[in-house]
Amino acid sequence: MSLLWTFLGIAFAGWAVARLFLGYGAGDPALRQLASREQAFVRAAADAVFPSGGGALALSGSEAGAVAHVDRYVDSLSPRSRVLIRLLFFLLEHATLVFPAPGWDGIRRFTKLSPAQRVAVLDAWQRSPLAVRRTVFQSLRAIVTMAYFANATVLRGMGLAPLEMESPVIDADLLYPPIGRPKSAIRFTPADRERTIVRAPLDPHGPLDPAYRENA
Amino acid sequence: MNDPRAWPGSVRVFAEYDRDFHVSADVVVVGSGPCGAVAAYELAAAGKSVVLCEEGPPFTPADYEIDGAISMSRTMREGGLRFTSGTVLPTMQAIALGGGSLVNSAMCNRTPEFRFQEWAESSELSRTSRADLEPHYDAIAEFLGIATTPDEVQGPRNLLFRDGCKALGYSAESCPRNVVACRGSGECFTGCRARAKQSMDISYVPAAIRLGAQVLTSVRVEQILSDGRRVTGVSGRVVAPFTGTPGPSFRVEAKAVVLAAGVVATPLLLQRSGNLANSSGQVGEHLQFHPGTSVLGIFPDPVDPQFGATQGYQSLHFLRDGFKLETLWAPPGVLAVRMPGLGHPLKQALLDMRFASVFDGIASCRRSEGRVRERGKSLQPAMSWRFHPDDAAILGRAIWHMAEIFFAAGARKILPGIAGLPDEMHSLAEADVLRTRTLRPSEIVVASTHVFGTTRMHSDPRRGVVDEDLKAHDLDNLYVVDTGVFPRSPAVNPMFTGMALARRSALALAGRV
Repeated sequence: MSLLWTFLGIAFAGWAVARLFLGYGAGDPALRQLASREQAFVRAAADAVFPSGGGALALSGSEAGAVAHVDRYVDSLSPRSRVLIRLLFFLLEHATLVFPAPGWDGIRRFTKLSPAQRVAVLDAWQRSPLAVRRTVFQSLRAIVTMAYFANATVLRGMGLAPLEMESPVIDADLLYPPIGRPKSAIRFTPADRERTIVRAPLDPHGPLDPAYRENA
Repeated sequence: MNDPRAWPGSVRVFAEYDRDFHVSADVVVVGSGPCGAVAAYELAAAGKSVVLCEEGPPFTPADYEIDGAISMSRTMREGGLRFTSGTVLPTMQAIALGGGSLVNSAMCNRTPEFRFQEWAESSELSRTSRADLEPHYDAIAEFLGIATTPDEVQGPRNLLFRDGCKALGYSAESCPRNVVACRGSGECFTGCRARAKQSMDISYVPAAIRLGAQVLTSVRVEQILSDGRRVTGVSGRVVAPFTGTPGPSFRVEAKAVVLAAGVVATPLLLQRSGNLANSSGQVGEHLQFHPGTSVLGIFPDPVDPQFGATQGYQSLHFLRDGFKLETLWAPPGVLAVRMPGLGHPLKQALLDMRFASVFDGIASCRRSEGRVRERGKSLQPAMSWRFHPDDAAILGRAIWHMAEIFFAAGARKILPGIAGLPDEMHSLAEADVLRTRTLRPSEIVVASTHVFGTTRMHSDPRRGVVDEDLKAHDLDNLYVVDTGVFPRSPAVNPMFTGMALARRSALALAGRV
């Protein structure tokens, strides 16, 4: 009997390790924060929320660079906030144990589900009567949505790209260097304040900020 | 004096700290947000030597990020992911020279007289009426060039709010803002590239430097130094921008300390300093917010919402009912979080955003309170707060009136964002459920950046932390001048009233040191 329990214990441990850590493939080594399994989750979630194709917004979440953006975002957070974000990804990746996707194979981890199953899982979180589940979903969607909207092509497709605008030089620009630099890095002089800058209201159909132009 | 580099004051930035240091001054001000910056300026103008300490760095346009997520992670404490326990309420406090003024929408409303009367009754105040503060409001308005938002930078989405209110007989006011020569970029929340918003880092702080103030950026005050009933200065560490990695130690010795670290950080600092100024037990208590929620409306014609003042119009019509209505714009990625659905239907819905306008409502919550405590030994807070059902119902009424205004302005549909209700409503008749149903706290998506109450003003030392001059009851030379001193919600955006109170306090202090 004890042999059976030992066998079952080993089998369960193996299954748990496989579910948690194996089968993710190599991640992008250029990313600073997200492990390969987290990259896989963000890619799957971003493509469930923003699938490929569909007119003016043809890019999928991953095609829009969501994984790299989320990595940059996580990198900019404090260690505690990073832990919270990682817990969120972990929770949703494995929550199918408790809230399975439709179908006989719906208990697999999120990244192993079919695209349709992923959408169904997220939709269930979105529409859950439990406020905490809706909050979890909103947190994930906020992260992937903000990543999707960081893409210049997406913003242009929606007609919401930032407009070109020059910053006038003011007294403060002679006092503060860019963050992390010494004051010797201040590149302005008092004469720069006299430069003529357009201060009229922007034209909503005027030129876009250079970083958001088609050839940027 | 035309060259800021020759001004008598100075600013130190992170790259300039290479060893422990200490300085002395008449007054040390902790926090360079709107209240601290005004206090520092007025004290310097009165001829006092002033050291202004700020944990965040100064941001230049080269440091701004138009991208909403990255901008929040760089300018907000805890990367913009701060929230309360109890009822989960996301709340953001800035960490930058200029504090919240760098990333707020510049709304400068004067608290209405009826609310001052309520404060007077609840906190037994005798000289904090609207009339008492008018000279201070006026002085700040003149300094910052506060004016209503001109029509040419309103953009259609703000004017639609005005038109809807007008059609329904509700008042609608162009927002008074500390903005000069706005270009209507709608980028207030990520830093004004047009340098039109007169945030503290480009207005009061440079003015204080011009008068001789020393500004220490990237320094985190960790302790208020005291001896009996007197404070003697502050101490702390240099911290690296964004990472908070601690560097050299510093100490500022001063004849008086002015705390303007914010409603969350100020009580933490007092608690960490031997529970200072807390014989009343009120430090960190009565944490209050203006919970806010938004409704998105889609119009038949393009609104081009990326153009226009971030918050150009408001309605003060319902202040006595407990809420205020406003227009709102934010980075598109932030607003898109509100769009319901997934997959291709979501992508199709997103194409509607060019036709969208967003209104928001903020509620004056009397019954919803919480507290701020230290989170272990860290410098981050543990905040608890509970959204009272009666206050949620008030916000529910605000949502209904926003729906009314949208349809009166010609919207073809609205997205109310209420759990359990349809994602889209196409007529006022469909939206009537918002009027007839009492919404529960868990059904409304709320967030808040307006915070008050944790160091409240009260004439009775047993019931409040500071007196009407904002001097701590327990100490002879410690002042608290941020919006934590508000006994209750100011009914409108709190910045201007906080600055007016700070100015009055600074003038009183200047006569005492």
